[in-house]
Amino acid sequence: MFYRLAGVYHTTYAGERKLWPVPADRWQALGVLALGLLAPLLVGDLYLSSYLLPWLVWTAAALSLTLLMGVAGQLHFGFAAVMAIGAYTAIHLTRFGVPFEIALLGAGLMAAAIGSLFGAAALRVKGLYLVMATLAMQYLVDWTIINVPAISGGAQATLQAPEVSFLGAPMTNDTVQYYGALLWAAFLTVFIMNIKRSAFGRALVAVRDKDFAAAVIGVNVFRYKLLAFFTSSFLGGVSGAVLAFCYYEAVTPEQFSFDVSIQFVAMVLVGGLGSVIGAYLGAAFVLLLPIVLTNLVAGLADSGLLTISQNLQSHIPLMAYGALIIAFLLFEPLGLAKIYDNLRNYFRVWPFQHTRN
Amino acid sequence: MINRRGVLRSATAAIAAAAFAVSGFAGQALAQDKQPITFALLQDFTGVYTFVSNEYNQGQQDYIKMVNATGGVKGHPIELIVRDTGNEPQRGIEAYNRAVEEGAVLVDFLSTPVSRAMVPRVLEDEVVMITALHGRGDASDGQTFPYVFPMMATYWSQASVLAKYIEEHMGGLEGKKIAHVFIDSPFGREPLPILRELAERKGFEVKAFPYPSPGNEQSATWSDVRRWGPDHVTIWGAGGGQPVSIRTAIRNGISPKDILSVVWLARTDMRQVGFEAAKGVKRFAATATGRDTPVIQKIMETVIEKGNGTGDMENVGNVYYNIGVATMAASVQAAEHAIENYGAPVTGPKLKKGFEDIENFNAQGLMPPITITEKDHQGGGYGRVSMWTGDGWEPQTDWITAYQDIVWEEIEENAKQFEQGN
Amino acid sequence: MTYFFELLINGALTGLMYALAALGIVLIYKSAGVPNLAHGAMIMLSAYFIYIFASLVGLSLWLAIPIAAVLMFVFGLVAERFLLRRMVGQPIIMIVMLTLGLEILLRGVAPGFLGAAPKSLDLGIGLAPMIVEGVFINRAYLYGAAVAIAMIAVSLLFFQTRLGTKLRAVSDDHVSSWSVGISVERAIGISWGLAGVSAVAAGALWGSVQGVDWTLSTLLFPAIAVVILGGLDSIWGVLVGGLLVGILGSVVPGYLDPLVGGGTRDVVTSLIILVTILVRPYGIFGREDIERV
Repeated sequence: MFYRLAGVYHTTYAGERKLWPVPADRWQALGVLALGLLAPLLVGDLYLSSYLLPWLVWTAAALSLTLLMGVAGQLHFGFAAVMAIGAYTAIHLTRFGVPFEIALLGAGLMAAAIGSLFGAAALRVKGLYLVMATLAMQYLVDWTIINVPAISGGAQATLQAPEVSFLGAPMTNDTVQYYGALLWAAFLTVFIMNIKRSAFGRALVAVRDKDFAAAVIGVNVFRYKLLAFFTSSFLGGVSGAVLAFCYYEAVTPEQFSFDVSIQFVAMVLVGGLGSVIGAYLGAAFVLLLPIVLTNLVAGLADSGLLTISQNLQSHIPLMAYGALIIAFLLFEPLGLAKIYDNLRNYFRVWPFQHTRN
Repeated sequence: MINRRGVLRSATAAIAAAAFAVSGFAGQALAQDKQPITFALLQDFTGVYTFVSNEYNQGQQDYIKMVNATGGVKGHPIELIVRDTGNEPQRGIEAYNRAVEEGAVLVDFLSTPVSRAMVPRVLEDEVVMITALHGRGDASDGQTFPYVFPMMATYWSQASVLAKYIEEHMGGLEGKKIAHVFIDSPFGREPLPILRELAERKGFEVKAFPYPSPGNEQSATWSDVRRWGPDHVTIWGAGGGQPVSIRTAIRNGISPKDILSVVWLARTDMRQVGFEAAKGVKRFAATATGRDTPVIQKIMETVIEKGNGTGDMENVGNVYYNIGVATMAASVQAAEHAIENYGAPVTGPKLKKGFEDIENFNAQGLMPPITITEKDHQGGGYGRVSMWTGDGWEPQTDWITAYQDIVWEEIEENAKQFEQGN
Repeated sequence: MTYFFELLINGALTGLMYALAALGIVLIYKSAGVPNLAHGAMIMLSAYFIYIFASLVGLSLWLAIPIAAVLMFVFGLVAERFLLRRMVGQPIIMIVMLTLGLEILLRGVAPGFLGAAPKSLDLGIGLAPMIVEGVFINRAYLYGAAVAIAMIAVSLLFFQTRLGTKLRAVSDDHVSSWSVGISVERAIGISWGLAGVSAVAAGALWGSVQGVDWTLSTLLFPAIAVVILGGLDSIWGVLVGGLLVGILGSVVPGYLDPLVGGGTRDVVTSLIILVTILVRPYGIFGREDIERV
């Protein structure tokens, strides 16, 4: 956003097809990536391991869900269950001695296989009914995990992630875990951006916008719906495994409860349906806002500026979080991505606002 | 346009305020010159633990206020960091990392999922985590979990104490039928291995009856219980599910006298059942209830009557309040040992050793005498059985401990599994 | 056999209590086409209101409940006017998320200001077992079921009145209702208000059974199963769906739990939702205008 635009004039077809046709955009993307790479040097341990790292992992999950909800238009209220399948598969595979790289693949495939079953419902219904069907499946997956000790890990229902290494780097080190998450988030970012301009992505968009019309122009609706569920669940499963290995270092059923599914949906919606940058912003909002608010309220109370009961103190972030979700949906249904876009357009032509279209 | 500027401005304000909040921790430090000791109470005030958190935390805060008002720990004031985690592991991790960075040497999550997620981290960071009445029972094994201190009877010990009570005061165990009615979660299942092992040894029958979470509707489960015709019933739930259990039991013709409960049963629950109707219900008690003990009296005197109480005065002396006081009493005792035996400043490893120096500590009668050793972080597994009399809890036994051999078999087996990655 | 009948009867009674919790969802969906996932939280809010007036203010319950009903009616009107009406024309997912945001907000507000620890609400229903032919019947559920049937009957009758006829017209077609001079906004607002009133009935009964705290909002899940099975826009569907969900959720776990060793009721409820959606998405009595693939 830090440049003036005089117009985009392409001289080659290749130039026009680039992911970021404007060089300044490309440089900015690289700049952000560089910041991401340098983050372990720039920010303290606390912010690296409790803010940046989970933010990247949650973003990766939100991006996986964006593909399904934003691009393909299929609603999913059980995405945490899909991630749980990936996380448990990866942990069990590595415990059997399978290398982590292959376990990740296995996690994706298992999640994709079971996640496509979720998609079977999408072949029958859509909209609200798909919400309810996926919600019911979330409960079924949860129940299975909790009630089969072989999956959940016996009496304490906890499985520690074994010490593994990814391409030779041990995954127990904070910095390596961060880079693992960064790599996966960066890969997904590029992947989703590219998918949106591929034939596959355009077919998904056609299905989203009107499935009858898509069928008329020769898109096999059944196939693409299932493919959307398959791909998104695969990515979600790997994200679940990344979450377990890079962040939690263990899996328990609570990490993937129904509330978490709702949080993912909120990320995608508040961020802006179908937007890549929206997934980043939405994940930051849903994941980090309650934490920041909690610290803010507690800090105000500790310094004596706010004299309220402990109980009210802890509920204020919950109220603010709910109220903000409502506010975003009411005032900017296109989400944080749209707000970002508005800001960007504003600054791009500043101070010549009349040149905005 | 205006909208957007508003958003920007409030965002900047929020960031600035957050930065301020991070730095502004002057908190409750009194005018004491020695370096403060920081305890972090990062609990669940908005999720499934709400039924206990407020009262429990109130007891903790009041006790610490009392300690600070009366000279601190050997002159060191105690600072508390209190945060809500909403029972969400990722928020727990953030709160924990922040607290550790701010120098906390002790954390208390009062949430089984969060504590479980934190076990590897506290072991690595050498920060003491107290898990009174929650978390992993096998953390009693101090050799496998050096920095985790359950320090009160685990659910396994609670089950064994209840069984002992039936054996000695309710006409023996042999040939009896005991129904274990529990919320369908790892917590509800936890005592089953102990009960089954005991059943084998003592020749009684145990049958498990799960009801679905959150337990607001249990009629089908209790029909099944009644059909089986048990002599005694143990109920293992928490929060709103507990009164529903007792009410449904009574409606199924099971006498309240035959109901024995896990520690999570408080006055509010009895009000929900009906004070009179619930007469005779028994419950495992980890601490004394009421305001009669010297510790609570002192809190009343130095904190509450001066108007510095943390919350509703009515809660003082209630079950969960006293449990909160007891956890902090033991922790302060450990900090004292740490300073005395290993010198200030108190660090995680020193505090751990301080805990392990606790011998026969009973907080002036508030809690059973606990002795924590390097091996035994449970403190002996003591407790007693109290009965609801219609207006309060009346102790039925002395502080007792029972069948610790079976409990420790279970502890060691689970600890071994932890070492293998479960 | 007694066991079976006991499961059957208590299941049916529980199911009717679920139906009471589900009634509000149908009232709103029928007129506005909005799936209100905040209804569980509205039930919680109602129970808190009753608690305020009965325990804190010290009024008699028979006064507290009507006051709560008035407040919840107003709450429904306000929620519709200031939140949902602005969302008309938005994709369904936005509306669903908005109601979820409302649920989160309410779950923060009510326990935040009134205390998160469970409160008790005593309706004065005795605990003594009620035995008919060897079958133990849960007295609280019996009264609850009676109230549920009464509320459903009142709803059915209400749709025969002049105002109810307008509501039915609105549920048939917004545009044609407009064209014949019916104020669609007002009709939708009223149905939200009525949903609030039905939440009070559910809040009072469930609050007396389990105490008043945020877990009341988890009634949403069985309520959803009821409306999906019965049909999102059918009052009769609530009755039949409630009975079926209750009976299946009692009889099946009654025989299956001992075999599985875990509580299977949520599985039954989930399967009811899933099978209904796959076989007959519009439910038993729902209108068949759902967009099928």
